[in-house]
Amino acid sequence: MGTSLLGHIDADCFYVSCERVRSYSLRGVPCGVLGNQGACVIAKSYELKAYGVKTGHPIWEAKKLCPHAVFVKRDFRWYEVISRKLLDLLKTVSPLVEYYSIDEMFFDASELERSFQLPLVEATRALQALVQEQIGVPVSIGIAPSRTLAKLGSDAAKPFGVRVIEKQCEPFLRSQPVGELCGVGGRSARKLHDRNIHTCWDYREADRLMIRKLLTIKGEALWWELRGDAVTPIQTSRPPHKAIARGGSCGGKTTDPDRIRAWVVRNIERLIEALDHHRVYAGHISLQIDANKTALWLGRTPLAVPSASFRTIYDAVMPMLAAAPTNHPVSHMHIIAESLIWRNKIQKSLFFEEAQSPLDQLKHDINQKLGRFAIRSAETLPLHEIYHDATHNYDICDISGKMCF
Amino acid sequence: MLLMCTGITIAWHDVPAKLIQKFQLEERIIQRSATAEKEILFLQRHRRPLLPVFYQGELQILPWGNRQRNCNAPLAWWCEVATLASGAWSIYHPEPAEIQANFGLERGVWFQIREGIQGTIIHDQHEQPYVYMLLQPSSHYYQVMTGYNREPIFLGEQI
Repeated sequence: MGTSLLGHIDADCFYVSCERVRSYSLRGVPCGVLGNQGACVIAKSYELKAYGVKTGHPIWEAKKLCPHAVFVKRDFRWYEVISRKLLDLLKTVSPLVEYYSIDEMFFDASELERSFQLPLVEATRALQALVQEQIGVPVSIGIAPSRTLAKLGSDAAKPFGVRVIEKQCEPFLRSQPVGELCGVGGRSARKLHDRNIHTCWDYREADRLMIRKLLTIKGEALWWELRGDAVTPIQTSRPPHKAIARGGSCGGKTTDPDRIRAWVVRNIERLIEALDHHRVYAGHISLQIDANKTALWLGRTPLAVPSASFRTIYDAVMPMLAAAPTNHPVSHMHIIAESLIWRNKIQKSLFFEEAQSPLDQLKHDINQKLGRFAIRSAETLPLHEIYHDATHNYDICDISGKMCF
Repeated sequence: MLLMCTGITIAWHDVPAKLIQKFQLEERIIQRSATAEKEILFLQRHRRPLLPVFYQGELQILPWGNRQRNCNAPLAWWCEVATLASGAWSIYHPEPAEIQANFGLERGVWFQIREGIQGTIIHDQHEQPYVYMLLQPSSHYYQVMTGYNREPIFLGEQI
């Protein structure tokens, strides 16, 4: 609330567009960006999409569908540089900008006409052209009285389009399936279909209390937003994390206890890096172990005092690992820090270990100076193929400040 | 024979017209889409395998390895970097060269090459130069992407 016009800017095929910024030869080429192991397509150009290649396709299928496609290795650091440039540019034309995700931002569009000295549609096109000229990334922009409508508008305008949506927009909402709404997933869409709600217009015209009963207060917020009443404000800074997790694939299924322990220790070290970055301590630690991407086991341990100490977290995680079933091959795992507390708000204790020991600080300082994992636990030695191969680092798109992944 | 990086392309506009004409490179021009740049394709299995090489201060088009037994350049089209480092090829007086490429092809997968590939040049008894691609054991990433356990030595990056 507080702004009468909201904008949503969404970069078109962002990872590929970032690669095209620095590689002219990729322009017009069917192009896919590969994930951490070089196995799966995590982003694709519209040219590649036209051949039926989808996000998540393994490369051996993608190359069959489009034999002349070019595949590029992901470079999240570069994508962050471009993303922050887009954020900075947007801040020059709007007083309020929300860093929603790496390639999407919401902004207060009420000053757009004044900034460009043009009517709204032309001003939006001018912003799109400015982004293209200064950053080199094509974007689609939606402008509407609420963020849900603005996002629907930019999605409908893709690729490289702009759409300004008025409060009364029946034909547009009738053309949009309800599943297009951000916040309506497959299960919610099925519930709505059962009640004969198929389009966004049907949703808007449905009984508000029925929607609230069906999809909780979040569903009701969407109902208001579709009517042009902005109920979700622009958030210019990210609220504190409720939890921070590190983990993911174990590079294939394994039952080898040494490798499983090594992955656990690696993920503890990554988690401590993240806790250091966000300047928080963890009050609870959880360990989730997956077999074939299905949760196999979950343990949760409270820490005696909030901590980001390797020793403390290690001592909390290892008994949980020991209690986990061992008869299934482990494919993925996550270590989750919860009950986070800011480091400057912690109550000191006479009876427990410091939240971080001098050894933790020394390890942090050396790794900052010499590079990530220059000093690491010896228990990670079974993962020599990861630490000795710079291309094999299971990096993640972890950009601070944005609202969602 | 072992397979390795079996083809590369270079942007058409990066090759001088006189070289295109001299080596009849028009027949090798490809375009991946209507809006993409034209590229010149250099395949190892071509009847006349060639590579674009930056050598002696200019772009040259040179034979990719040697297939002729009556020539005293090695009968190969690549060289393991460890072999070169061991001195096994020192009798041929190898010289460093930069193979110019935008995209590479390995086992049906095209991948981007940012700067180029390291190569080595060897002259035969008639002073005819031949270029050999330098190979190394592949990274895990490259191996998963292409399914091959060796990769070229790329300039300024490891894929």
